[in-house]
Amino acid sequence: MKLCDLKPGTKGKIIRISGNKNLKRRFQTMGILPGEEIVVEKVAPLGDPIDVIVKGYHLSLRKNEADQIEVEVIK
Amino acid sequence: MKEIRIAVCGNPNTGKSTLINSLAGAKLQVGNWPGVTVEKKEVTFKTGDYLLHFIDLPGAYSLTPFSLEEKITRDFLFTQRPDVILCVVDSTNLERNLFFVIQLMELGIPMVVALNMYDEAQKLGYKIDIALLEELLGVKIVPTVATRGEGIEKLKEKVVEVYEKSILPKDLSYGEDIEELIRKTKSHLLTLNPQLSEEELTKGIILKVLEGDEEVLQKLGIKYDKTLLKSYLEHIEKVHGMDFEDFLTDTRYGLSAGAVKKVLSRPEIRKITFTEKIDNILLNRYLGIPLFLLIMWLLFKLAFDIANPYVDFLDETISEFVIIWAGAGLEAVGAPDWIISLITDGIIGGVGIVFTFIPVIGMIMLLITLLESSGYMARAAFLMDRVMRAFGVQGKSFIPMLMGFGCNVPSVYATRVLEQEKERKLTMFLVPFMSCGARLPVYVVFISAFFASSSGTVLFFLYTFGIAIAMAVGIVMHKLFYKGESSPFIMELPPYRFPTFRDLRIHTWMKLRHFVIKAGTWILLINIIVWGLLNLPWKPEKPEDSLLGKIGSTVAPIFKPLGYGDWASASSLLSGILAKEVVVSTMAQIYGMEEEKEIKEVNLLEDLKSIGQKFIEKTKEAISNVFSTFGIATLSAEEPEEAGGLIPILQKHFTPLSALSFMVFVLLYWPCFVYGIALKAELGTFKLYGQAILLHTLVAWVCAFLVYQIGNFLGF
Repeated sequence: MKLCDLKPGTKGKIIRISGNKNLKRRFQTMGILPGEEIVVEKVAPLGDPIDVIVKGYHLSLRKNEADQIEVEVIK
Repeated sequence: MKEIRIAVCGNPNTGKSTLINSLAGAKLQVGNWPGVTVEKKEVTFKTGDYLLHFIDLPGAYSLTPFSLEEKITRDFLFTQRPDVILCVVDSTNLERNLFFVIQLMELGIPMVVALNMYDEAQKLGYKIDIALLEELLGVKIVPTVATRGEGIEKLKEKVVEVYEKSILPKDLSYGEDIEELIRKTKSHLLTLNPQLSEEELTKGIILKVLEGDEEVLQKLGIKYDKTLLKSYLEHIEKVHGMDFEDFLTDTRYGLSAGAVKKVLSRPEIRKITFTEKIDNILLNRYLGIPLFLLIMWLLFKLAFDIANPYVDFLDETISEFVIIWAGAGLEAVGAPDWIISLITDGIIGGVGIVFTFIPVIGMIMLLITLLESSGYMARAAFLMDRVMRAFGVQGKSFIPMLMGFGCNVPSVYATRVLEQEKERKLTMFLVPFMSCGARLPVYVVFISAFFASSSGTVLFFLYTFGIAIAMAVGIVMHKLFYKGESSPFIMELPPYRFPTFRDLRIHTWMKLRHFVIKAGTWILLINIIVWGLLNLPWKPEKPEDSLLGKIGSTVAPIFKPLGYGDWASASSLLSGILAKEVVVSTMAQIYGMEEEKEIKEVNLLEDLKSIGQKFIEKTKEAISNVFSTFGIATLSAEEPEEAGGLIPILQKHFTPLSALSFMVFVLLYWPCFVYGIALKAELGTFKLYGQAILLHTLVAWVCAFLVYQIGNFLGF
């Protein structure tokens, strides 16, 4: 499933990242890598962007960017 | 004396600039990186036998650049090769920070790492084995708390130590496959680039070649064979099932995670941090936006309320004291009329304009620094991004645009929060559509003349109309600028932190000084030109005879379809380029409303005394404004003094419809020249201002035309 489909408060494991090179590169730099755990912490009041925790820090992503990140839910 | 050049780098939000301020004391030098608008800070001082020259590089997450800032950092490190690298690291976020440290280590330059915010890490219960980390990385590490100046002396010592002993960071193993690839590429590069020695070909450069970062390789003048390299890379891609860049990032992050595992022990259960508790309220689904708007309103109201009495004070002191006494003095030495007028109105008046902007810009810059260094700026962007995308810009543009309602000039400076050059320029471009305080006097006069019964509605219409136009122009410009592709908006939400007083003071002062120096001279020059337009040929008998009047008569026909083709309105609009509120006073002058100059006894001592009294009075006013902010005070426009007599005249020259068309025109046309000069000071060229003048004036004309013609058609 996609990262933006995760409900706030749920934890996922990153499986695959798609998107253009520029975006992918940025994701990787910020620590969004396959195998990494990611938590969707909050959704902005207007529904976009979202606030995620990765590698222990908070990051804001737009939904169309989060669309490029495939995750599986960890219980 | 030997100089050591030290590049200071680190991720954003690591307290790097606080550390620099702490190192520098009063010796900080601020300029711009050549050709760009990014601030460059440097500091030089003696320590023992050395002259330490610190160069602050813009915050970066990686040496494969994404933003303009990161590009500068990469270019400097690769092409200017500093003697020592000082990397500032956030101790509470080791893994991502070490990812950057590992890239820096590839450069083969002696390195010192400042484990900053060490106190915060301790509070979280983190234990970091510094000695082990030093050993793993081969760099010197100093725990620091930059806000309190802790560890700063030690940093200086370590910098000298790594330089003297030329302690190089460890060459970490990137795994057999990558190391083999590096060896092959190295020998390939050495044959193609005989000018390079083996030491000069660092791991960093070789990886840049493999990554295909052509921009920096071109700057270094390194030749390589693309097809050969491609064949090298294909091997890796086949074996590991991902492209080389992904594999490299993975490896670097793997090394970073491995090191963190060894040196950091932290409590099992992750505590909810102080920041998260605050964010649960400030980013709350229902409360987030109302709280944000409330905070913005309070802060900006406070800023303008404190600044405005001082603006008045400076304005009055200059016009009622400096100009009068300078005039009297010049008259006493027998200077001719025109010289007196040039000096008092042209020059001193121009300096006066610069001065009157100081309180506003100072207060606004203080607020922006406060918002940025506390961490709330990122939240503002998070909350408003959805809205601002409608304008073709992103969340961080909200604050400069909002400030535009007070004054467009500090907004230009506030756009510094935007990292992407394109977004920054687009925001700058849209700011003048926000109806600034200087336009209010024009509305007030016209509204009281024609729309007294529905003043609120008309005012509301004008403000929202400006916003709507900004939205339309923003979307079109965005399409043109980006050609369909939008830039990613991936932003760290840093922990909330208390800014230090010293940081606030230094940053505010730097920006103010920048305005006064860079913009001041231009403002003065243009004010002198405008003086010429108003007063030449010397002492025009009728206002029509001045240069301004003549230009006004020439351009007047352009305004005919908007409902006011007379030279008087054209000339007032022209004078409004100086500052929009001038439209009203020029009209008053043209229609012969010029107030009789008071002839008063002049007494230097009395005047000086009254200046002192006024200053105290205005300070009292500023303080009482602060308190009234929390009561029910509203932004109210003072009716200009000239207004009273002007109203019946306006009613003769305008109809309600042409008055509305006039206000729409004033709202949108030609951004004032101080704004333009701020643009020039920030961007180094007048190009964007030129474009803004053309486009804004065109938009204004079309809108006013539509208002007037459609209104006419509907029979108003």
